[in-house]
Amino acid sequence: MSEFHLTEDQQDCLQELINVAMGQASDQLARYLDTFVYLKVPSIESVDGKELISTLSQQQNTMAVVSQGFFGYEGIRGEALLAYQEEDSGRIADLLGYEPEELSQDEQLIDISSILTTTFLNVFARQIDNQMSYNAPKLLPSVQNSLSEHLQQMTFNWDLALKVNINYQVTDYSFNCNMILLIPETAIINIKNVLDRILEDF
Amino acid sequence: MSPSVLICDDSNMARKQVLKSLPEEWKTTAQTATNGAEALTILRDNSIDVLFLDLTMPGIDGVGVLQGIQKLKLSCNVFVISADIQPEMQSKVKSLGAKEFLQKPVKADVLINHLQQHGLL
Repeated sequence: MSEFHLTEDQQDCLQELINVAMGQASDQLARYLDTFVYLKVPSIESVDGKELISTLSQQQNTMAVVSQGFFGYEGIRGEALLAYQEEDSGRIADLLGYEPEELSQDEQLIDISSILTTTFLNVFARQIDNQMSYNAPKLLPSVQNSLSEHLQQMTFNWDLALKVNINYQVTDYSFNCNMILLIPETAIINIKNVLDRILEDF
Repeated sequence: MSPSVLICDDSNMARKQVLKSLPEEWKTTAQTATNGAEALTILRDNSIDVLFLDLTMPGIDGVGVLQGIQKLKLSCNVFVISADIQPEMQSKVKSLGAKEFLQKPVKADVLINHLQQHGLL
């Protein structure tokens, strides 16, 4: 337990904000894709950031990871990771309805990751009277440890990670992806302050 | 006399959000449940007039509660309050007997408006 650990009330509050964000982002995504997408509201857990990075880094040869930085007011910032199992990444073209020659598989992965990240975080930000800006999304090379190398280039301590598991089911196929929000220690304090402000109203 | 009210949501904050939005005289007697199974027990053993129901909950979810209410042949005004706002879900809960579908986070004026529309206020 550290000062970055969320209290039970803070965790509950954050979970509810994320549920609402995911619900609305899912709805927007379904409209964007113009098809029926069945989306379950995801499971959310907060985990140790450093441990998660080392686990993900080891699994990277079987996964595709797209990374995108986000930053809002009041020092709220982090890195959103979208992690796909390799066998699922090929299905994304079908989901997006692209022609094979239109975009490479890499570009499609980047595309859908960015839609998911930004719609989710925009709705999240709106609920806390904030507004997010984004860096360009980046597909990390699928070799071991490219994720930890990528994150080391940024000079943050990644103490807390929010792991949000999203499952998509589209009529004929389904695939899973994990959305992981890595939050640096300085931003955790800022998020805790925002959560406390919201909780004060209750 | 104010109606008997039950608020069912797994999130403490969401329950408080609903409670805060209720008419003043309803607040003191409103009961809460943290999951679908708990809600069904309260519904079965008490006569509940108005239920505010979340959909995504562990175990028996909101859809399960609506099915349970039909099975037990309970007469209860159900207002679903959910983050899952896809149109398919909205029509599904209405077909299972929910009076209204309200989007999370619920706002007091919207909630009061719906209660008035259904003659509960």
